[in-house]
Amino acid sequence: MRGRTRRVLGAIVLTSCIPLSGCVRGCTSSRPPIHLNPSMDDQPRVNAQSASPFFYNGASMREPVPGTVPIGGLKEDVGFFTGKGANGQLVATIPVAVNEAVLERGRERYQIYCQPCHDPRGDGRGILFQRGNIPTATFHQDKILNYPDGQIFDVITNGVGLMPGYRWPIPPADRWAIVAHVRALQRERQARGTPSGTPSAAAAPGTPSAPSAPTSIK
Amino acid sequence: LFGVPPVTRDYWRSLAQIEDRPEFRTALEREFPEGASELPEGITRREMMTLVGASLSLAGLVGCRRPAEEIVPFVTAPEDSVPGIPRYYATTMPFGRSAYGLIVESHEGRPTKIEGNPSHPASLGASSARIQASVLGLYDPDRSQAIRLKEATRSWSDFVTAWGQLSEAHAADGGASLAVLSESFSSPTLARLASEFRARYPRAIWATYEAVSDENRLAGLRSATGRDLDLKLRLDQASVIVALDADPLLTDPEMIHHTRGFAAGRRAGASGGVMNRLYAVEGVYSLTGAMADHRLRLESRQIARFVAALATRLAPAATGAERPAAVDVPGVDPRWIDALAKDLLANRGKGLIVVGERQPPVVHAAVCALNTSLGNTGSTVSYFEPRDAALPSVSSLASLVSAMQAGAVQTLVVLGGNPVFDAPADLDFASAMAKVPHSIALGHAVDETSSRAEWHIPRAHYLESWGDARAVGGTLSVVQPLILPLFGGRTVVEVLGLMVAGKDRPGYDIVRETWKPLLGEGEFDTRWNRVLHDGFLAGSELPEVVPDLTTTPLAELTRSIDGAAAAGTGQVTTGSPGGLEIVFLASPWLHDGRFANDGWLQELPDPLTKITWDNPALVSPKTAETLGLANEDLIRLDYASRSLELPVWILPGMADGIVAVTLGYGRQRAGRIGTGVGFNAFTLRASNAPGFDSGVTLSRRGGKYALSATQNHGSMEGRPIVKESTLAELRSAATGPAHAAGAHAGDPGAATSGTTRQEGQGALGVFPEETHHFSLWKEHTYDQGHQWGMTIDLNACVGCNACMTACQSENNVPVVGKTQVANGREMHWLRVDRYFSGEPSGSPEVVFQPVPCMHCEDAPCEQVCPVAATVHDGQGLNVMVYNRCIGTRYCSNNCPYKVRRFNFFNFTKETPDILKLAMNPDVTVRARGVMEKCTYCTQRINRARIDAKLAGRELGDGDVKTACQQACPASAIEFGNLRDASSRVVKAKADPRNYALLAELNTKPRTTYLAKVRNPNPDLEGVV
Repeated sequence: MRGRTRRVLGAIVLTSCIPLSGCVRGCTSSRPPIHLNPSMDDQPRVNAQSASPFFYNGASMREPVPGTVPIGGLKEDVGFFTGKGANGQLVATIPVAVNEAVLERGRERYQIYCQPCHDPRGDGRGILFQRGNIPTATFHQDKILNYPDGQIFDVITNGVGLMPGYRWPIPPADRWAIVAHVRALQRERQARGTPSGTPSAAAAPGTPSAPSAPTSIK
Repeated sequence: LFGVPPVTRDYWRSLAQIEDRPEFRTALEREFPEGASELPEGITRREMMTLVGASLSLAGLVGCRRPAEEIVPFVTAPEDSVPGIPRYYATTMPFGRSAYGLIVESHEGRPTKIEGNPSHPASLGASSARIQASVLGLYDPDRSQAIRLKEATRSWSDFVTAWGQLSEAHAADGGASLAVLSESFSSPTLARLASEFRARYPRAIWATYEAVSDENRLAGLRSATGRDLDLKLRLDQASVIVALDADPLLTDPEMIHHTRGFAAGRRAGASGGVMNRLYAVEGVYSLTGAMADHRLRLESRQIARFVAALATRLAPAATGAERPAAVDVPGVDPRWIDALAKDLLANRGKGLIVVGERQPPVVHAAVCALNTSLGNTGSTVSYFEPRDAALPSVSSLASLVSAMQAGAVQTLVVLGGNPVFDAPADLDFASAMAKVPHSIALGHAVDETSSRAEWHIPRAHYLESWGDARAVGGTLSVVQPLILPLFGGRTVVEVLGLMVAGKDRPGYDIVRETWKPLLGEGEFDTRWNRVLHDGFLAGSELPEVVPDLTTTPLAELTRSIDGAAAAGTGQVTTGSPGGLEIVFLASPWLHDGRFANDGWLQELPDPLTKITWDNPALVSPKTAETLGLANEDLIRLDYASRSLELPVWILPGMADGIVAVTLGYGRQRAGRIGTGVGFNAFTLRASNAPGFDSGVTLSRRGGKYALSATQNHGSMEGRPIVKESTLAELRSAATGPAHAAGAHAGDPGAATSGTTRQEGQGALGVFPEETHHFSLWKEHTYDQGHQWGMTIDLNACVGCNACMTACQSENNVPVVGKTQVANGREMHWLRVDRYFSGEPSGSPEVVFQPVPCMHCEDAPCEQVCPVAATVHDGQGLNVMVYNRCIGTRYCSNNCPYKVRRFNFFNFTKETPDILKLAMNPDVTVRARGVMEKCTYCTQRINRARIDAKLAGRELGDGDVKTACQQACPASAIEFGNLRDASSRVVKAKADPRNYALLAELNTKPRTTYLAKVRNPNPDLEGVV
């Protein structure tokens, strides 16, 4: 009798251990880990970038209603915010005062967002071109040299060709700073007297001469 | 109260306390009511633990896995949006013919919190409980989700097609059998569409109905001046305010700017200027009456006679003719009226007489004449002609109903509103509607009206709508959506636009079309965007109008009083005791019932009765004694061959011989929150007496009905919690010996100790030396960084509860329901205590006291927490670490202020997906077993600090506003850094009226109060 009770007890202990042993450390499992104390880790509220089954697309973040104007989002200076004046013409020159700080900010932002494709000197030989043969325009071609400043701003904002728009990650002031930096790169090249348009990656996409080292880096 | 001799009086919280009934003693002595830790089903906590243990081992921990979370970013992110950083939009909440300019916080495109727009004339940066709670209406899970044809779901295009067929038939005969029932509005777009509608269907019926409206005032002013006039009160300009059966401080739609103006006058008096004096003459105890320096209890039917009596005393000044014989009001000491008249005459041009909407038109006309003769028109009250407005008219509804009964209406379009629920009972709208073959109802929910209609169209919430409105004074305001309609709802603009144009057009286009002539074609987009950005068009106020009286309203008032005496009607009587008088009150929270499914409003205690989730009939103690009634007794009211059974509640300060019922409760189809809550007083209300009437009989039904009141919860054992003084005493103290001895007037310590306080002594120098008792604990020095503190000015606070709702919205405070409120488990972090003083059978005076967490520097709660779940941070905040809390509730037991709230249940566990969207993502949603309390809105402090740091500046005074402070219409709450000598909170704490709650306990609360100051008329001393 006593032994039987012990056996039953033992069985209970063993069975209650089974679920625990299902996911000890080191085991791989596709299921989330066991979490005994919920401790308000998961709250009935909607955080940024979270899912919500309420909305048809499963995302809790909603786009602003078209036509609405948030506070601080008036954008009355259309030239500054769109690169185009009230008449729809592209802005000829950068509508902010370009100084040392703006150029430095532009260089920094350029390094973050532009350099991977356009390379530090704006020759269109960034890492994407080197490894993936993605055709990337050089800034040192006549077409872009002759762009009004507003057009470069417009390209950053809305993208062109394969290049996506950067209106979300780069605020307008930073976009103008990047425009200033691109202009500085062009002026530097002009001053050095390197003939414009050479080497032009855009003119010769995928030329075998371009990348030399990508395979070794892999 | 330092240096100011306090008025000594006995305060009491309820009738049970003053009679010291056993149930009050029990409630007082227990931390929580009997059985508060029991589960509703009767399982004890111990049994529950056993069950939980068993189910844990049986379930094998299957449910205890960490929830899988997904990151769902924008596919194409909108410009300027940073996930986690809220954006703010200006918009407008239309409410009848009022409109409140708002700033709405949007988290990733989801509106979560509403504030007033500081530049808007109707909201002045503040808000009300209803405005705060309206965001919950957007996320109401019981909102209608689809267009319905009878019971079946249809699409909008189905409706457009169906309307096309109907409209063809109606256009043929000029709309002879077409009728529209609209809510009243004040909107350029709706007014334009309505006139186009009349042009297209010249023979159609257009009725405008509001269950709670200012129709009587409009009618009175129309009869006196021959035109429609709206008025705007400027309480800040008034030195003497007389409220006759009126509640400008709460139930009036313009309560925000009224309260702001009133509080400015109170505050000015306390700081040495002129303090206004408020007289209230009323039957029901209103919030305005609670603020009054002198309050006269008078039945509503006697107000007309009171006005006549007042007019005879003001007459010499009014006309220059010989003084007519003074009329008296039965039961009113003539000296009271004499003193009031004297005060008004002494303050010509600075007085103001306000009369309540429920009074008949003839009284409104007479009061307009009195204000004009006293020179108040143009200074304290101004008139303007309503423009772009649909004015409410019960008679238009009555003629519509008779046409419907006669079968003359083929198609009825109900543009919002719920007439089946709130139309006068004698009209019997429901049976008339059954005779209409085609009915179309636009409504937020499938409510009483929509469920009887052929077509139901879900109505878009104002936060989903494009629209416009005129605010008080005529300021053009624009309604801008924060989110696309969650359930494809349509606005009144869109439905009316479809009816007018015959084709479906977006509301955006229709509203812009209205605004093009207003803003000019050239540069329209730029100007339009500026209006959207600001929320209103600056400089669009309507011109003031000086009303020229075409009649002699005072003579007409006398005639109608005499006529009423002859006819024996109930509205204006000579004061013969015509039996019990019934008064219909608009609910301060639910209004006419439209907010019935809003849990925050249902659980918000009534300011005076502190009852939640119900609308008992209110009677005075003496009336209850006469009729043999006790609280919660079920009674039956018989009035005009209709009857209603409901419980009764005894409210001190009510006029004797009155029974007051609150409208808006007793909804049959409101949703999971509001259905079946309370009793439907609309079933008694008639179209000829919407405000009050004689001829009601009250009989006891036997039996009780449990009501959930919060009034005895958190009682403080009769210690001096509220301090108050009179203006005269305050003035004499300011010029008293302590002041003459050379101490600074603003130095609280100097007045009593006679020594000048050293800078930096004590904690921040806020607490004077002599209150520094021996302490058992190691004293902290708070001399680094920001040290937050708060003051609450009891002199400005009117007790409107806007702070409570704002706190609930900001801090994800759950709704617990009627039963749990009865058990003392309400979760409001901020409560507004109401103390009576004086004779309960007379007109006891009232003080309101908002009580949030005091953030004591030596906090008793921290000393008893075994797990250090409540601790102090470096900024002097008493913070709760929810994850550490194991729910011992020792802290609540040790809190002398009773401001801690415990999650007895997982109130948020069953939160529907849609309601999760309403939660503030910056605040933890607490689980079961966790203690919580006011945090001084720590998330707002952090947000402001981060913003200041990013902007590279110091955090300035006013950068952090707590939710309660921001919402307060009276600006009674100041919050800021105590180490900043120039901050407003430090200046407020330097006021001699500043005192700490239960300072003798040496808890050193960071929240302190400024004592209330009354301004009684010396002529009325001893006059009751």
